[in-house]
Amino acid sequence: MHHANHFYGHAHVLAAYCGLDPEDPPRINGYLQHGWNVVDGLGAGTPYVSGRPVFVWSEQTRRRAWSMGRRYATTVGAPFLYLLSMAEPDDGTAREGTIWYPFHGWEGQHIAGDHQRLIDEILETEDGPVTFCLYWHEYRDDRIRRRYEKAGRVICHGYRGLRRRDTDTRFLHHQLGELRRHRRVASNRLSSAVLYGAAVGCEPAVYGDPMQLAGEVRAIAERIRRQWPELHGKSPDPVAARESARAELGADVLASPAELRETLGWAVR
Amino acid sequence: MRHIGGEMAGWSDATPTGGPAYGHLLEALRPLVQAGTRVLVAGPHDPGLVAGLPGELTCLVRGEQDADLWEDLPVAVLCGSLAKLTDQFDVIIALDGVARLCTVEGPQYDWTESLQALCRALRPGGALLLAVENELGVHKLVDRTVVTSAHTDADWRPVGEYDDKPGTPARLRDRLTAEGLTVSWLGSAWPLPAAPSFIADEPTLRHGPAGALAAAASGAAGAAYARRRVLSDPRRLSSAAIRAGLGAELAPAWVVLAFRGMAGPVRLPPVVLGTGPMPQLPPGQLLEELLIGACLRHDLPAIRRLLAAWVAEQPTATANNVLVDGDVFAVLDETRPRVEPAIAVRRFATTLLAGGYEQPWPAAGDTDSLTAVLLAAAGLHPDPVPADDEPLPAPDSLREHEERVRRLEEQLADAAARIRHVESELVVRDGELRRARLQIDMFSGKVGYRVTRLGARAARKAVRILKNR
Repeated sequence: MHHANHFYGHAHVLAAYCGLDPEDPPRINGYLQHGWNVVDGLGAGTPYVSGRPVFVWSEQTRRRAWSMGRRYATTVGAPFLYLLSMAEPDDGTAREGTIWYPFHGWEGQHIAGDHQRLIDEILETEDGPVTFCLYWHEYRDDRIRRRYEKAGRVICHGYRGLRRRDTDTRFLHHQLGELRRHRRVASNRLSSAVLYGAAVGCEPAVYGDPMQLAGEVRAIAERIRRQWPELHGKSPDPVAARESARAELGADVLASPAELRETLGWAVR
Repeated sequence: MRHIGGEMAGWSDATPTGGPAYGHLLEALRPLVQAGTRVLVAGPHDPGLVAGLPGELTCLVRGEQDADLWEDLPVAVLCGSLAKLTDQFDVIIALDGVARLCTVEGPQYDWTESLQALCRALRPGGALLLAVENELGVHKLVDRTVVTSAHTDADWRPVGEYDDKPGTPARLRDRLTAEGLTVSWLGSAWPLPAAPSFIADEPTLRHGPAGALAAAASGAAGAAYARRRVLSDPRRLSSAAIRAGLGAELAPAWVVLAFRGMAGPVRLPPVVLGTGPMPQLPPGQLLEELLIGACLRHDLPAIRRLLAAWVAEQPTATANNVLVDGDVFAVLDETRPRVEPAIAVRRFATTLLAGGYEQPWPAAGDTDSLTAVLLAAAGLHPDPVPADDEPLPAPDSLREHEERVRRLEEQLADAAARIRHVESELVVRDGELRRARLQIDMFSGKVGYRVTRLGARAARKAVRILKNR
């Protein structure tokens, strides 16, 4: 339905899970939540057409969507967990260091924080090597990338794609591979990446300057901290954090391939 | 036939009281009815109901035509008004209640006066088996007609809830006691006062397995109300009332066995279902209700667990015929027809949609789509979605109609919004296509070719003009 369904190769992962061609996922009959958020599951500015289902990650998000007037939210769980269920089990290689996701906005938004101050705090906190994972537009920005390169390894999982073009359909595969190499996952804001990391056994942490987006109110960040304290701080209890992260990703609601095919409108009759 | 006065010539009372459950109650009453016992059947009863009773049977009817019904039976018929009854009896059976005992002639007894008249006709130590319609029973709550508005020739005095009838089992007991009667048994009857198919006594309703009892009442209502026009679904109401502990208060009727003086030596069954005592009641709750509850809570893991266990344990029983107690899935009524597992799932999908229940797949708004999702969630193959050749007729409920209209309005508005969206997308895509074609033309050399051709044509024309000069 909407091109955002293809972001991060989400539709491709779900197609593979459903036993369909992952290179050419069929049209999803609705809107797939493409990132963790504290609203109705849809991205900002998504032109929602009433009556189409919104496929959200968790029951909590569905309830929130309902309260915001979205009557057609259906809980399916995060595509990342579907990928995880298909992926080879963790090979048990010793994990090392921290994968750190500096908070970014989506394209077009500007970051007001000071990257260097954040880097200093990260290096002060983390006791092992740090891998910085930058969002694609920061990764392409030489000034930003170089600043991080001075402090550690810098990677990018790929381009999420736009209007179904240039999508790195193995974005989540890269992310899963990297997360499994690290003992910790951290960010300056609670985000999909931290939840993914916690779900695959990284010790999560959320600390540092949350780098307010231009014009965005601080209230949302504070609300997130109040609601998910178990995922915040420099070293929160990893067991409680993992449980909370799995709930946010909808670990208990994942559908079977057959049910998912029916739900997404992919059943061929 | 003996005319006792007040009789109605050419009159017949419609739908005499009967039904298998009452038949079983009367069977249980046999210890009281020996040869020579004088039994009065007061009011319109199905002759088949009492024909087998020993003893000297007498029946009291209002209309002469009704007397004919009893002609071939060894039954004495009294035709006329209760007010004219002077004989006395050892047993009085008044399962039709007291509303159809007085005729148009003479006094019009209210409930208390009728009871007093029946008591006068009862010998000391005699037994009265009496049914009392509950004016706030489920059958009245779902009725689309107004009771106090007269509809038929029999409604010459449609007092409805304005009668002085007791409104709860406790008050009924008190009123009978006040008349010098001892109540030995009190049962609540579903789904219709004139032909109940499920009767449960007070201790059973209070302490028995609420799930099984609710399921039985709901099943009885479903059968009696199939295709009938109602305000709201009596199955849901009956079942909810029993589970909430209000079964007796909202039952369509109460049946009491009372004695004039000390209670006699007879035991009536605690629960009657259909033609006999209800078999050992399994504990647990109806699968259909558990599934509906899980759907309303959007509890996907619970829905999948229930569906999977259902198709594994009792695949051929419909969801309204399975009791779930933990991991045990038991069939409630073995006599109900079995179906293919996929059909059973389809019927549940129909119930969900027809009842307007909220469920986790709002986009699956038709039976086929929802059945397919449920089948997949149950671990069954959803392809093809089975057709139900013999769908179960359900009550035709006004409330559910309203829900459906509301949903259709929403769907229509959504469809219109979607069309607008698609049309605007089409405009965008058309623009893209036009630009793309232009580019293709440019790069495929067509434009250059045309320019050259135009140029060549102009040159030829110029040459021609020059030659012609």
